[in-house]
Parts: sequence; C-alpha cells; structure tokens
Amino acid sequence: MNFTFNFKWFFSVVFAIAIQVLFLRDIAIANVAFCFIYTWFLVKAPMQVNPLLLLLGAMAVGWVIDVFYNTHGMHAFACVLVAWLRPVYFRILTPANGYDERSSISLAEMKWLWFFSYLFLMLMSHHLLLFILEAGDWSLLGYSVLKALSSTLLGMAVFGILEFFNRSE
Amino acid sequence: MIQLFQFLARQRVILLFLLLELVNVWAVFKYNAYQHTLYFNTTNQWAASILSTTQEVKTYHQLRIVNGTLARENAQLRTELLRLKSQQQPLTKLPYYVSEAMLNRYQAVASKVIDQSTSMSQNYLTLDKGRKDGIQPGMAVISSTGVVGKVMSCTDNLSLVVSVLHTSNSVSAKLKRSGELGYIKWPGYQSEVADMMDVSKYKKVVKGDTVVTSDYNAVFPPNIPIGIVAKVGLEKDDTFHDIKVMLFTQFATLQYVYVIKNRLAGQQAQLETTKPKAE
Repeated sequence: MNFTFNFKWFFSVVFAIAIQVLFLRDIAIANVAFCFIYTWFLVKAPMQVNPLLLLLGAMAVGWVIDVFYNTHGMHAFACVLVAWLRPVYFRILTPANGYDERSSISLAEMKWLWFFSYLFLMLMSHHLLLFILEAGDWSLLGYSVLKALSSTLLGMAVFGILEFFNRSE
Repeated sequence: MIQLFQFLARQRVILLFLLLELVNVWAVFKYNAYQHTLYFNTTNQWAASILSTTQEVKTYHQLRIVNGTLARENAQLRTELLRLKSQQQPLTKLPYYVSEAMLNRYQAVASKVIDQSTSMSQNYLTLDKGRKDGIQPGMAVISSTGVVGKVMSCTDNLSLVVSVLHTSNSVSAKLKRSGELGYIKWPGYQSEVADMMDVSKYKKVVKGDTVVTSDYNAVFPPNIPIGIVAKVGLEKDDTFHDIKVMLFTQFATLQYVYVIKNRLAGQQAQLETTKPKAE
C-alpha cells in the first residue's frame, strides 16, 4: 500500500463518520430504517487487509460514533464483531473458482449476486447486534429485528447506489 | 515458554478480538444507564440467590445449638406463664389473692430426650437432666404441645420418665368446655390415642373438645393441654362415656421436654399423709 492510498482511505472514513454523526443521526425512514454509512469502510476494506489492523480500526471508528450517539460501547461492539467475522463471510461466499487475489470488493468486480449477499451478511449482523444491544430487553426483540432488517435494506440500497457511481472506475 | 508465546502469536487475531470486545462490553454496561441497571439487577439477583443458599446451609449446621437455646428460653417462658396463670382472679367478689408461694409454685427445666420407646405397652423416656439439675422423682414432664409423663427415678445426671403411653400411668384431666373431670389412661394400642375414663354418661361430651390437666392434679400444673376428643361412644349399659382422645404430643419426633418442678409438692404430700386412716 502506498502512502496516497492510505491518505485517501483515511479521508473517506472521516467523511463517512462526519456524514453519519452530523446528518444521518436524526434521520430514520418510518422510524425503523436507519442508515449507518460509516460501515462503508468495513465493507470496502480489501480482502488481504491485516486483520489486527482492521479490528483496531473498527474499534476506533465504532468508539467515535459511540461518543456522538451517546451509546458507549455499542457501535464499537458491533463493528469489532463484524470485522472479526469478515473472513468467515468470505469463506461462506467463496465463488466456484475461488477468489481472485487482486480483486477489490466492488459491484463491478464481484458482480451482483456475490456483492449483495456479502452486503446483506455484513449489514444484517452489524445492525442486529447493534439494535438488540441498544434495546437491552428481550421483549423488544421483534421490534429490534424489524429495525435491523429495514436498516439493512436501506443500507443495501445506499451502498448499491454508491457502487453505481464507482462502476466506471 | 517460547512455545507459549508462539501459540499466543498464532492466535493474535482472536486474542485482540476478545480483548476489544471485552472493553466494549464493559463500556456498554458501565456507561449506559439502562444497560447498567440491567447488569446491576441481574448480578444482584444471582448473588442474592447464591448467598441465600449458602446461608441456608450455614443455618442448618447451627440448628442443634439454636434448638437448645430455644428450649431453654421456652422453659423460662413457661415458668413465667405458669406464674401468670396462677394469678388469674376467680370470678367471685371475694377478696381472694394468690400467695407468693403459690405464684412461684411451678418452675420449668428444659431437657433433651436421649432415649425413648413408643411401640411397647410400657414406655419410658430417658432425659439428660438429673438430681444435680434439681429433678426429683414424681415431677411432671410436658412438651411444647402436650403432656409427656412423670419422672420415675433419677440419677445424678439422668432421669427416667414414665410416659403417658404406659398402661399403669394415668393423668387427672378435665374437659375444657364443661370442666368435667376424668382421667386419661392409655389402653396400649396406638401411640396417638388414649382413653378418658370416669366421665358420667349423664354429662354432655362434645367431639372436638380439648382435654386439659385438671386443677386437682398433684403432679401436673392445671390447664396443660393433653389432647382433643376424637370419638365419643356409649354402650347401652355403661355408666361412663367411652371417650377416645387424640394426644397432642408427637412422641415420635419428641426432642425437648420441660420438667415442671412443683415447689409445694413435698408440702402437699406431707399434708395428705395426715389424713386419718379409714377404719
């Protein structure tokens, strides 16, 4: 990885966090669908990234979000868990001929089926953990699952649209 | 040692993951008010149930000591109760007062039953108090629920008690409701049932009436509960009721009894020997 790539990456992450805490914090569609665009870095990180680095990065980003959302530790918990489960998801979704070493994670490279399945797995696990932890009550389980599902669908739509813009690259 | 470090290095991803998640979970349950109360209440509940179970086990081991203490306390209370009962004024307008000697007539001593029999036709109990503790032959023995028997003989530290479950033992008794006198005699069959004898058939006897010791008892204090009338029968030619009394005392589980010292028993016996002999 060269220095410029890191810089671009860092700014993207900061930008995503900024949008999340400044705008998306108070927006919810029908009060059930929330958008968590800061998970973009978890989704887009290359497959060969150092897992230790990813865990620490997830912890850091999650913690920053927590500070703004006043949910100490919950976003960090979900992010770290999803960062750790990423290799498991890759194994589950291995295409017939195995992965191509050089491919990045994008809609153009990995094609629709793989990308959206991967997106669903990542977002669903993250949101499910987050909302259940936030509710803290087993009687609110149904409502939390509903929020997780609708937020996942919203997230998939948003990421799909973003990928559309990157298709030409 | 090196291999331990190598193993840890191989698992570094999992270890880092666990460490970070632990920190996160700690943060969640410490700094978020609702989750904190969840944690606090749940752990309090677990701790409380575990501690209460431990406490029960500890209490069980102390039961023997606690029982002894309670029996001694009961003996004190009984003495005081007997004293207070003697003070009860009769329903007359006469200037009657109870003398000091009569008030302090009865004193209770708690004692443990170390041996007893209930299945033979003559049953005895052995108590762990004797002459050194002031027990004399002829004293009354009661339990917290009813009547047990009379002291037959003593050594320095032990006493032998003739139980009411003895074919030649009898306790002067009266029916609580009507005051009719009779005496309790054990026929020798079941350890819970005794007969009440000498209640004239012309007097009314109600099933469920309590049988207590009578006022004319030389040994027992008055109004000590003995049992409850279970069955009243009458044969055609009988003069007396055939009353079956369910005894209150549970002889099978008897552990602690109270020996009632009657301070005036010697005086009463001495007095009654001066009765002129019949011709």
